[in-house]
Amino acid sequence: MNMITEVLTGGVRGGTSILYAALGESVSERAGVVYLGTEGSILMGALAGYAVSAETGQPWFGVIAGALAGGLLALVHAYLVLSRGANQLATGLVVLFLGLGLTSLFGVNYVQALAPTFHTVAIPGLSSIPFFGSVLFRQDPLVYVSYGCVPALWWFISRSRWGVLLRAAGERSEVLTITGHRVLRIQYAAVVAGGMFAGIGGVHLSTAYTKSWFENMAQGRGFVAVAVVMFAARQPFKVAGGAYLFGAALALSPALQARGFGINQFALDAVPYLVTLGVLIVLGRRRAAELPEGLSKVFEAAPTT
Amino acid sequence: MSSVQPTAIPAVVPLSADVAPRSRSNGLFSGGLRFAGALGGALALFAVLMLLKGVNPFAAYRDMFVSTLGDSSQVAGILVRATPVILAALAVSIPARAGLINVGGEGQLIMGGVAAMGVSLLIDGRISGPLALVCMALGAGVAGGLWSAVAAVLRLRIGIAESVTTLLMNYIALDVMYFLIYDRWKDRAGSGQPATRPVAAGEHLPLWANTRVHLGLGLALVSALLIFLLFRSTSWGFRLRVVGGNMEAARRSGLNVSALIISAMFVGGVLAGLGGFTQLAGAEFKLRSGFLAGYGYVGFLASWLGRHRPIGVTLSCLLLSAIAISGDSLQLDSKLPAASVNVLMALVLLGVFGFGRKRKAATP
Repeated sequence: MNMITEVLTGGVRGGTSILYAALGESVSERAGVVYLGTEGSILMGALAGYAVSAETGQPWFGVIAGALAGGLLALVHAYLVLSRGANQLATGLVVLFLGLGLTSLFGVNYVQALAPTFHTVAIPGLSSIPFFGSVLFRQDPLVYVSYGCVPALWWFISRSRWGVLLRAAGERSEVLTITGHRVLRIQYAAVVAGGMFAGIGGVHLSTAYTKSWFENMAQGRGFVAVAVVMFAARQPFKVAGGAYLFGAALALSPALQARGFGINQFALDAVPYLVTLGVLIVLGRRRAAELPEGLSKVFEAAPTT
Repeated sequence: MSSVQPTAIPAVVPLSADVAPRSRSNGLFSGGLRFAGALGGALALFAVLMLLKGVNPFAAYRDMFVSTLGDSSQVAGILVRATPVILAALAVSIPARAGLINVGGEGQLIMGGVAAMGVSLLIDGRISGPLALVCMALGAGVAGGLWSAVAAVLRLRIGIAESVTTLLMNYIALDVMYFLIYDRWKDRAGSGQPATRPVAAGEHLPLWANTRVHLGLGLALVSALLIFLLFRSTSWGFRLRVVGGNMEAARRSGLNVSALIISAMFVGGVLAGLGGFTQLAGAEFKLRSGFLAGYGYVGFLASWLGRHRPIGVTLSCLLLSAIAISGDSLQLDSKLPAASVNVLMALVLLGVFGFGRKRKAATP
């Protein structure tokens, strides 16, 4: 395999957990709630997915468990922010701490455990297309599911009736109230759904990407997802591009080292974060204007732009 | 001249309260009661979780209490741990007054430690004592300040949320430090662990009496007091609050909003950088992997817990540091992972954020 193919294949593989988390964050932010605890939902999903997969022997049960665990943590955030009026950025970070603590408390037994995991499945026909075949169609099943999620979510947000309600909850909540919809209910659903997506991202991380569980294994992926959502302006296709870009930056380091380039590992480790920051800088000016109005309000503590 | 009297403290409440009349009528007593309720609820919930893990919560809490507050050397441990946390928390409180969210205390602490170590390597024993310490502190402060000012500039020029840039820069700072301790600055004569050489004995901060508490605590407390006074009685403190209240209104009334925002982030970063310096020169003496890991995030939460008011923030830092240290007892006595204490910390904070004061009518 040449290096470009290898980096891009690794980019899709490594970017998938961020893709799921960022898709979830897009839903949540469309409803006007920033969920900085995405990182915690990834961790919850990673542990729940790995543990259930180990106990039941069926990784798809792990996916369900991971989604539930990620959604449960997001529910804590939703309750505090929506029903108790707490600041969403501070609460998001606390929720992350909660997820970090809970997963290390209940995860000790699974650090060395073996679990059935997702394996690469080459799609017959498609996988023999030169270049694209090996980048896109020699992946694990959860990657293929994410291919479906991106257009589905685009349709949901931009074309469906539910999507109109979702966007209205973030932009013009008073209109919803006047027309007899329950804004709070929509926002709750959006935040919890966002957490469930992040949970599935976590399941991909533990049962398909690293094929193991260890403490604090998300390593900032949740924060990167929030940044990706920001520069992708909450649009699923752009979110996918951003997530794969980060994944490719992650895959660069092993690819270079395998070829014996003497570049320091930690200099390469910083590349994904630098790339994310760089894209934010390049696209930032254009994106600021596209923020849902609910997010650019002057809150108690700060405007979020 | 009355500013140092302890009785001056209550007098500041109406000035720095968000909306003074509302919080006044509530009274201190009911506020304290709510705080205690939130704390008790958190302890009870965590007890249930410990029961689920087969640990006797009463014994665990007793061990945690005894090992944290049992004797004076334990209390000294809390003070040592709280020192960089206080400085990192102030780095959150100052920008917060101007409506900015600095989640980068972690990276700013590390850059401060890295710069202080760099200065120590640079002077290489040629000077020592107070002069060397001042040079290290200067380097650390400038490094921390510049690291956080980057986020302010990006916010002003390009409009990227500083909460996200500061978060991403934490990871970059961590990689910078790892690059140095695994490679460039690695102590070849050391034990093989990735770490720098220790700073020279002449570059240690003086200790207080026979304890591990070092001069850094004094620096942190003086900084908190200074920021308290700056907030209370200078036009800079007032202008920051105007910017934090409504940036557009501040701009139209002729305030130099850019300069104020950059100064708030820079001063905050300087303090966090100093936090890195105090940890290096007062407690750890060398950079190693895991240096100050998590301190910046605890500082962030402490600042919110203390509602960004320097005195309250300092107390919050002491509380959270004590909880963090009690995690060691969880590991030693109850055989739970030390990181599980994050659950207790999060529950306390969720309790206070969500239930510590009357519910606001506003949506997020």
